[in-house]
This record gives sequence, C-alpha cells and structure tokens, in this order.
Amino acid sequence: MSKPMQLPLPGFEQSRARWRQTFETQTVDAEPLRNRSGIELKPLYTPADWDSDRYMDDLGFPGEAPMTRGIYASMHRGRPWSQRQLIGLGTPEDYNRRLKRILASGANAVSLIPCNSVYRGFDADQVDPVLLGTCGAVVNTVDDMETCFAEVDLAALSTAMNDPLPFTLLAFVLAVAERRGIPWTQITGTSNQSDYISHFVANHMFFRLSLPGSRRVLLDHIKFCNERVPNWNPLSVVGQHMQQAGATPAEAMAFTLCSAIQYAEDCLEAGLEATRFLPRFTFFFDISMSFFEEIAKFRAGRRIWGRIVRERFGIRDSRAMRFKFHAQTSGVDLTRQQPLNNIARVANQATAGILGGLQSLHTDAYDEVLSVPTEAAARIAVNTQNILREEAGLGDVIDPLGGSYYVESLTSRMEQQIEALMDAIDAAGGMYQAVSSGMVQRMIGDSAFAFQDRVENGHQVVVGVNKYQREDGPGERSPLERPDPALMQRQLEKLHRFKAERNDAAVRTALDGLAETAAHDQGNLFEAVVNAAGAGVTHGEICACLRRELGDGQPLILP
Amino acid sequence: MLTDTPARVLVTKVGLDGHDRGSRIVAAYLRDAGMEVIYTSPWQQIPAVVNLALQEDVEVIGISSLATDHLLLPKLMDALGAAGLDHIRVVVGGIIPDEDERMLLDAGVSRVFHPGATREDIVEAFATLALEARSAAE
Amino acid sequence: MKHRSKAALADRLLSGQTAALARAITLVERGTPESIDLLRTLHPHFGHALSIGVTGPPGVGKSTLVNGLIHALRNAGHRVGVIAVDPSSPLSGGAILGDRVRMGEHDLDADVFIRSLASRGEQGGLSAAAGRVIDLMDAAGYGRVILETVGAGQSEVDVAELADARVVVCAPGLGDEVQAVKAGILEIADVLVVNKADLPLADATVRQLAAAVHLRSGAGADVPILKTNATGQEGVSALLKVIERCLSHLPRRPEDRARRRFRRLIAKTAATEAEHRVMNAERERLDPICDAVQRGELTLEQAAQACLDPDLP
Repeated sequence: MSKPMQLPLPGFEQSRARWRQTFETQTVDAEPLRNRSGIELKPLYTPADWDSDRYMDDLGFPGEAPMTRGIYASMHRGRPWSQRQLIGLGTPEDYNRRLKRILASGANAVSLIPCNSVYRGFDADQVDPVLLGTCGAVVNTVDDMETCFAEVDLAALSTAMNDPLPFTLLAFVLAVAERRGIPWTQITGTSNQSDYISHFVANHMFFRLSLPGSRRVLLDHIKFCNERVPNWNPLSVVGQHMQQAGATPAEAMAFTLCSAIQYAEDCLEAGLEATRFLPRFTFFFDISMSFFEEIAKFRAGRRIWGRIVRERFGIRDSRAMRFKFHAQTSGVDLTRQQPLNNIARVANQATAGILGGLQSLHTDAYDEVLSVPTEAAARIAVNTQNILREEAGLGDVIDPLGGSYYVESLTSRMEQQIEALMDAIDAAGGMYQAVSSGMVQRMIGDSAFAFQDRVENGHQVVVGVNKYQREDGPGERSPLERPDPALMQRQLEKLHRFKAERNDAAVRTALDGLAETAAHDQGNLFEAVVNAAGAGVTHGEICACLRRELGDGQPLILP
Repeated sequence: MLTDTPARVLVTKVGLDGHDRGSRIVAAYLRDAGMEVIYTSPWQQIPAVVNLALQEDVEVIGISSLATDHLLLPKLMDALGAAGLDHIRVVVGGIIPDEDERMLLDAGVSRVFHPGATREDIVEAFATLALEARSAAE
Repeated sequence: MKHRSKAALADRLLSGQTAALARAITLVERGTPESIDLLRTLHPHFGHALSIGVTGPPGVGKSTLVNGLIHALRNAGHRVGVIAVDPSSPLSGGAILGDRVRMGEHDLDADVFIRSLASRGEQGGLSAAAGRVIDLMDAAGYGRVILETVGAGQSEVDVAELADARVVVCAPGLGDEVQAVKAGILEIADVLVVNKADLPLADATVRQLAAAVHLRSGAGADVPILKTNATGQEGVSALLKVIERCLSHLPRRPEDRARRRFRRLIAKTAATEAEHRVMNAERERLDPICDAVQRGELTLEQAAQACLDPDLP
C-alpha cells in the first residue's frame, strides 16, 4: 500500500522547507495534536503523504473494489441517503401520530423505538408505571403494532425495528402484514439491534439471552428472513453502542468488523450461502464530533470490508462487498448545558457522515440528551438533513473529499490502526471469545476513562461545559415531555383486555411450541416467535419463555 | 480527607436503563480516591439494593440514572428508611431534569449531579457524605 | 453503656439480624478493640461452619462458579455465607469490589449473606480479618462459608489457606497452569477445577494440570481435577460432592478444626515476626552470621537458629 512517492515536483522541497520555517515562527511548539483514535495530525498534508498514482489501488471507482469511494456507482447523486429518524414515545397511538407527521415532513424511512420496558423483555404490567413510555413506544402485542401503523402503508415504508432478540417487533409486523393481506416479500427494513455481541460489550437497555442462546436465535432469524422476508435486513452490526460507551472511532470500527466476521462465520458454519446472507448484512455506526476522523473511519471501513469479503470469504460479487450502513449522530457529544448548541453539533456530525458515504442517517434532536425529543426539536433534526441535502448540496458529488492529501492519508492511517486491532481480536480467538473473556470491554473502558481525563483537564474542550460556560437562560431547555399517565393507564387496560379476550388455547399451543423448539434445538426459533406473535402471545411472555429455555445473558462489564 | 479505614460506597442503577459508561467512570474515580466501591450491574430491584446496602454496610449509595429511573428514588429512600438504613447517604447522577431535582432532594437524596460535574466535586461529595454517614451510624 | 451495646450487637447477630452481622464484620475489619471483645463474646458459638476457599487467576469465572455453588449448597439445605475478596489498589488504597455482580440472583435470599472485602494491603492483615469474618458468619448460623479470592499475591494464598476445603480454578488456554504452579497456588489445592469447559482446549488443560500435579506430589495423593461450565451450571453439583467429601475428612470436633486453623495462622504470624526481627537486627549481631554462611561455616538453617535464639552469640 505505501509506495514511496516519486518527487520530481520541482521546487517542492524548497517550498516545503520555507513553509515549515515560517510555520514554526508562527506557532508554539506544543504536544503533537492527535485525533480520538490517537493518530497524530500534521498541520499540513501534501503529495508526500498521498500520491494520486495510488488512485486505482487505493480508491478506484464507486461501486466496485476497493469500494473506498462508495458502495454504489451513483451514491447520493443517484439516490439521496434515507432520512431514518428514530421515533418512539408513549402509547402506540402517540407513535402513530408522530409517525404520520414525520412522514409528512420529509422522512422516507422510519424506526420504531420501543419503551425501555420492552427492551428489557417486559410487558407494561410488569414494571413500575412511572417508567413506561418515556423513551419509546409501549408495544406488547400484535394489536399494538396494528395501532402503530394505522393508516400507514407498511409495504411502502422501510422500517427499522429497534428491538433486540428475539425480534418480537418484527414478528408483530409480520402478523399485521398477514392480517392486511400484504405479502412478506413487500416488507422492507432492518432488525436494527440484532447484533447481540454488541449488547454484551456495552450496556444500554437490552435484555440478553445467554451467548449461545443468542447465537442460535440470530442464526434462525437470518435463515427465516433470507427465505420468507427476503427484502428485510435481518442483521445490523452495530458500532454505535461501543463508541457511545467510549470506544475510539478506530476501535468501534474494528470491533464491529470483527463482529461481522464472527456472524458470517457462524452463518457459514450453519450451512448458509455467503452470496445469500452477505448482501443482507448492514451496519450501524455512531458519528462523533471528530469530523475528518469519522469520514476517514467510514472510508477505511468500506475498504476493509470489501477486502474481507473478497479475501477472507472468497466472494467476488460486488453486491456482497457493499458496506451498507446507517449512522446516527452521537448523543454523548451533545450537552445538557446550552442545548441549542447541539443543533450546530448535529449539523457537523451529519455532514461528516454524509461525506463519509452513509446510506441512511438519523440526526438527533437538540434536546435528545434529556429525553424523547419534542416535536419542534425533531422537526429541526429532519430539516437539518433537508438543508444539507438541498441547500448545501452535500450529495451532489460522490466522495467529494477523495484525493485530499489529508483525507487519503488519514483513511490509510485509520485502516492500519483498525486492522491492528482486528488482528488482536483474531489472536484472542475471534470476537465471541474476546467478548467472553472481557478483553473488549476492558479496552473500551480504558478509552472511556482516557477521554474523560482529557475532558477533565481541558485538553478536550466541550463548549458550554469546560469552556465558554454560562448560566442557561429560561426557555433554553425544552419543556419536559412525558407520556400522559392517563393514556398509559388506558394502555395498561388495553393489555389486560387483550389478554382476557384472546384465544387461550392458541396462546398455550404457540407458547408450548416456542418452548419445545428452544429446548430441543430443532426447528426455527424465529419462526416459532412469529407464530406466537400471531397467536396473541405478548412480548413479555415470549421473552420470559426464551429466558427460561435459553438462559439469561450474564452481565460482563466492570469498571 | 483522611479516614482511618476506607469509605465503603455502593454504585448501582435502578429502573430500566442500562447505560453505565458514567457509573463505571465514577466508580474508578472513587477507587482512585481510596474508597472501596461495591459495583453492580444495572437494573437492580429496590429490595436488592437495600439488601446489598445492608450486607455490605455501605456509607454512601451512588445511583446513576437516565430516562425516568430517578423517579424511583423516593421509593428507594423509603425502603432504606424502613430497613433502618437512614444513616446511608444517597447521591444521584446522570440525566435529571431540573424540574425533578427539588423533588429528589426533598425525598432525602443528598446531592444531584448533572453532566459536567467535575471529578473533584464528585469525589469530594462522596468523601464528605461517607464521613457523615459513618458518624451517623455510630 | 458501651459494654451493653456490644453485648446487644452480639445478641442481635446471634438472633440472625443481617444488620448486626454486617456491622460486626465492619468492626472486625477495622480491628478495633471492641471487635476483639465481640469475638470473645461470640466465641462459644464458633465451630459449626465449614469453609470453602475458591481461588484462581482473574478471568477464569470464579464468581460465576461461586454463584453455582451457592445454588447447589442452598439446594442441599445450607445457609450460605460468602466472602468475596478483591485486591486494593496499592496506589490509592481503594478497590472495586465487583464479584457479587455474578451472584445477583441470590440478592433477595435471606439465607445467603454476601460480603465483599478489599485486601487492604498485606502483612497478614487480610488473613486475620477474613478468618474472623468466617467466625462471625459461623456464629450467625451460616453452615457453609465460601471464601473467594484472586490467586495473585501471597495474601490471597494466605486467605485460601484459611479455608477447610480449597478449590483452585483455572480456565482453558489462558496459559495459567504454569503460572499457577509458580505462584504456589497448586500447592494448596484440595480440588482443581477447569472452568469454561465448553471451550475447545478444556481437555488439554485437564491433562496439563494432571501432569503438573503429579510432578509436585510424585506418586502421592491424587488431587481430583474436575471440569465445569459455570454459566451453564454444568459440573457444579459434582464439584460440590467432591468438596463435601474433602470436608468430611476434617477433624470432627470444632475445637480440633479450630486448633488446626490457628496453628497455621500462628505459624504464618510467627514467620512474619521472625522475618521482621532478622531484617531489623543490629548489624554487629547479624553481619558475622552472614559472613559465616558465606564462608560455608554455617548452613542457612544454623544461621536462622542463631538469629532467632537470643542466647547464642
């Protein structure tokens, strides 16, 4: 990769020396500047750092190996990135209302964020009412899902479901589709939280089945979707949790790619065809405030994934090599102090993601730090994307930073660091092993601690927090939006009615079938979940059954 | 701040949220300041927290909270009182809306920390509260 | 007033009050004079509990295994005390005590008492505290006490020596077998466990351990080596059976068991004392002895006798 540059450029050395001299008189000799991944940043990059002779080897053309410039020939020029805004609040009716407004304001793809209680595998009647519906929608039954998508055409929408295994939300969607006569081939979207390894590495909300149990459920899910819901992406390998937990951008990319390799190997071992499942692998990343680093991270990721598919798995099909990813602007970079500043932050993060070649983007609302965003803030978040696309023309040129001496040099440096980290994981026996032993968690914890240190001693400035502080004025913080307790009470009553009115025999049979399938390692577990969902089994009941049969995931993360 | 034996504190989370980046960092700060930190995974039930505090004879409980988990604090304070653990000081940190801070302090929480609190402030608060709890226990 | 309150604490502990046991442990950890009184008051109630030491390098799954043992012991009808020891930071004196994270399912069981202890430095300080905490749990009616430590430093080895049955845990492929031998942990094992037995190198590890054990004991007693998969609760009941068999070989009478334990403790304390005395002895007394060893006129054993015997010149 590193071919020493030929320097027939006349006058280059002298000019550089002259520049260097003047530069040094104008600057103080301080510590070298480093980005979040620890890579040193020079003040200036030139053809000495990257030479366009390397174009065909390092860059090539978008849509083909080495994939650096983009996974499609036309990228955003042909079709803009999806605006996939995450939404979820309160009751299914609340979600439905918000969904319709988001669709009307320009978003063309959505997510469903369920309530934390759902993430934990519980129904509404199993948790303290004060915790319900505050960060996502309470969806426990197929009827709830019906309400979520009332008067919305499921077939015309791409939906990312944000529940972890065992993917009851998708199961409910499929049940609703069946009721409406929509063939499952028309259901599009992604299982956004299918990466169970990431749930063992970074604690967020999700309940976990045991590692071996999770492995099985995911494989069955992939098999089932590849055959019966072919336009659904059953796997989204998530780097976001790790970066939010403190992993550096290079670490987040490295660990994510290692997880993807682990999943691909698991699928191959289970007898699945690589040409079938690889094209449906998608990724989900965080975008931090470190602008150029994020762009380089994504370009490096694309290049590395392409190489992994070609060399490690021996697949030449360019569709299998596509590093498709959704990205979300980083929540931990937002501040509670002077929250309106977050609008500028999000615009910066979004720009980095777009220039990095993402396929779909969620922009955080400025008040997302406090809780579920208000409508006004959510509108600004969507319009931020509209402005970047329509007014700034960010999608007009493919990979506009390609060829920049800095960006190409940084992309290569990030690539080296990412691959070194991947080698360490490989040496530890692969991602599954490395996570079982706690190695990855420790690395992330160390990075989190190091970052906090830099914030504490002011090396990392956070505007409004350790510099440029001021007292927040009134009205700068959004009014707190909480679900109406009366509505949540009605939701609880609906759940009780649902349970009272459903066909007990059908529920019993479906639950027994699920337990059987889990206990005897026969049959497709996700199929059993889908059957259960359609038969009226609730989310909490499905999760409890699988917890019993497959075991609970143990917490593995210590300071 | 010198004490004869290290302060014993519990760092934990109640409710549904699991984000623990902050609580792990705080636990490390407290350890580096010479305290013994009993650290648990998130999603602890209130009766379990009380039993833990009882068995480990802790002086301060640090709760890390996101979403509306902090709304459970009054119940925790009640449960601690009922178990005869009034001497234990409770601190909450994380994302707590201004509107709820007064309610927490009224319920008996000693301090509420918001993002941006410095390491020094946090360590100092725990150390002071641990001393208070220790005298109150004897 | 004070005397009465100590008696009250002892009474409350004996009657099963969790808070009293917890407080008593705190006092004994601090090593206050009142704690000595407390132990004296409780002395008649010692001697019923049997202790199980679980030690091994970090990362092998000790806490998860202990969690499994708690289950098995509860199923056998015992009230279980657990002492989970983690090292204190040599720099700050603080500690992260996270072992009970893996034992969370027992948080609401009134018949399980888990206490996390920090090693708080060395010099036998931990041995003394841990032994006394076992006694307190004993008096409070816990029939089995599990003592979990990290097998990394000498103080941890000391602690494991306190236990009536000693379990040393390894995990496959971590390369620890050799380390364990070096640290002397294998010397004290009554049972060896290879945890995470689902991992591919488990059987190889068992073989390596058997070889290491054989090397150490020659044709001597066979230390049982078992495989477990603690997260899957596999092999734990078998392990408990072996442990109970070890425990059954102990002297029947509590006084005899106590004597055995105290003899060991006194020996350790004496060794520390002796070391202190020799290292701090006057140069004019010790230098001639050192010279004599160097010249080959005295063996080390003779030299040691000379140093410790005040009558010899």
